[in-house]
This record gives sequence, structure tokens and C-alpha cells, in this order.
Amino acid sequence: MWICKDVCQSFKLLGFLDVQSVPCARESVLYGSLGSLVVGLGHFLATSRVRRSCDFAVGGFICTMLGYWFYCRYNLAQQRIRQRMLKEGMRNKILFEGSSLDPERKQTGNERSDS
Amino acid sequence: MANHSQFGFQDASSPIMEELVEFHDHALMVALAICSLVLYLLTLMLMEKLSSNTVDAQEVELIWTILPAIVLILLALPSLQILYMMDEIDEPDLTLKAIGHQWYWSYEYTDLKDLTFDSYMIPTAELPPGHFRLLEVDHRVVVPMESPIRIIVTADDVLHSWAVPSLGVKTDAIPGRLNQTSFITARPGIFYGQCSEICGANHSYMPIVVESTPLAHFESWSTLLSS
Repeated sequence: MWICKDVCQSFKLLGFLDVQSVPCARESVLYGSLGSLVVGLGHFLATSRVRRSCDFAVGGFICTMLGYWFYCRYNLAQQRIRQRMLKEGMRNKILFEGSSLDPERKQTGNERSDS
Repeated sequence: MANHSQFGFQDASSPIMEELVEFHDHALMVALAICSLVLYLLTLMLMEKLSSNTVDAQEVELIWTILPAIVLILLALPSLQILYMMDEIDEPDLTLKAIGHQWYWSYEYTDLKDLTFDSYMIPTAELPPGHFRLLEVDHRVVVPMESPIRIIVTADDVLHSWAVPSLGVKTDAIPGRLNQTSFITARPGIFYGQCSEICGANHSYMPIVVESTPLAHFESWSTLLSS
């Protein structure tokens, strides 16, 4: 996922959405544009109606953009949760390694008692 | 702290602030979708001839009732989730009191043998090189990192407000009332804030500085100050 912080100049879509620093924003807008093109062009090729095709193009843009946005943010949230669990796991491993609270030691102890 | 001409949020230093920044991004994306639609409809209207032929508008009335309802749901659900998350205060490790005065803050760590101190802004003339003008104080609020901290805010004279943007905290200090808020600092560092309720001539000159340190450092600091 590409995030531009201080190095790149910020580009704000419609003057308020900084697509470069907001995670998932750039991809959402790009996929939205692609979806808009596909839906609008496809409808025009099928029906030859310009006005209605434009309506479909705008609708396609909004739906594709929001759809990808929710999908990307959901994945990002899951990734953050995994990162937190990993961080806590690493910290606990360092803290408790070799002590009675070491989970690996408990697991090894269980295996020995099972055998 | 904020850079000059900064328009957006400061980097989040607490889980609540991270959630708030994410919600803000989500709200802006919804706003972009709405603005795109409105811009398109505006363009259409400007290109059409005016007519009063519309008699039956049931379909469009259905659309412009259901769509705003969907938009409101998209915004309200995460907003309420964060609102209730902000109200959770479960077993803080430390409770401290922040009292607003004209024009300084005083802090009381009554958990730790009645440790109290005042926090005055360092005047520009006395500021060491490289320090931040109008933001540095003589005594910082030191808290242990990654621990839930409860802060009780009140005031001694007039209304003040204890605010630290990067922690997502802003609580009014009202004389005769105790307001409670809590936060967890996600990482060690120094976080700046300023009084956020007009309180007189020097309202702009009573900053707040929270220093988040590992627990061992916090303990040695509190021992040093108590003695």
C-alpha cells in the first residue's frame, strides 16, 4: 500500500481529500475511475445512449470507489490487529522466556506429559 | 506538535486518536462520493433546458430518501462505536488531576504520596535554543507509556480546557466540577497541547506538555520529585 507522507507534495481531490497520505484513498479513486470507465463505456456500447451511460458511469464510479474503500479499510484493520498481536507476542516472549510463565515451556511440558 | 501551516491532524499517539483519524478519512471518502454526485447533477441541470413537466416524482423521491439514510448509517455506526470507546475507562493504572488557573496548569498525582506541581510556560526570552516557542513548560506531565491514565480536569477560577491533540484528548476545566477523561500513550514521546477555552489575557500562553516514558523512568521521576 503506497502512502506518501512528507516527501511528496500533497494532492487534494476536490480540495479536501489528500489521496496521497490517506491509506486506501488513492487506490479507491483509481479503481473507481476504472470502474466508471468500464460501466459507462460498456453501457454506451450496449445501448448507444449517451445520457444514460453517463449516469451509469457516475454511479459506477461511486459504487466501485466506495466498494473498494470498504474492502481495503477492512483488510487494513485486520492487518493492524495482526500487527498488534505480533508486537504483544514478541514482547511477551522476550519478557517471559525461560520463566514459569513462558507459554512455550508450558506447551513442551504438556507434550512430555502426554508422551 | 503541529508544523507551521499544518491543516490536518497531528500524528496519532493514542489508540483513540488513531480511530478518530481513521473515521475522519472514512467520512471524507463518503463526502467525496456525495460531492461527486452533486457535481454531476449540477452539471446536468446546467446543461438542461428548464421545464415544469414533472408530474410524478415518486421514484426520485424514493431515491433521495433512501440514499441519505444509507449515508447517515455509514457515518453514524463508526462514529457511535468510537464515541462509546472513548467513554470506556477500565481500571486506570494512574489517576492524576489537572487544575486550570489563570494562566498556568497545576497537576496532582495523589496516587503517589501527594506529588503536586505547577506547570508554567517558559517565556520566549528564557527558551533554550531548539525548543518550541509558546509550547514548552517548566514542569511536564510525566506519564508511563502504554498504561491507561485517568485524568480529572477542573479549574480554579474561570473556564479552561485541557487539550492534547495527538492523544485525542480535550476536556473542559470548569470551576466546581470534576471532568474525567482517560488515554493511553502508544509510544514514548513528548506531546504538546494548549488551553482550549478562552480564559483571559494569557489564554494562549498556558500550554500543556505530556511526556510519556517507560515505567522505570516514570518511577524514578516521581521518586525524585517527591523527595
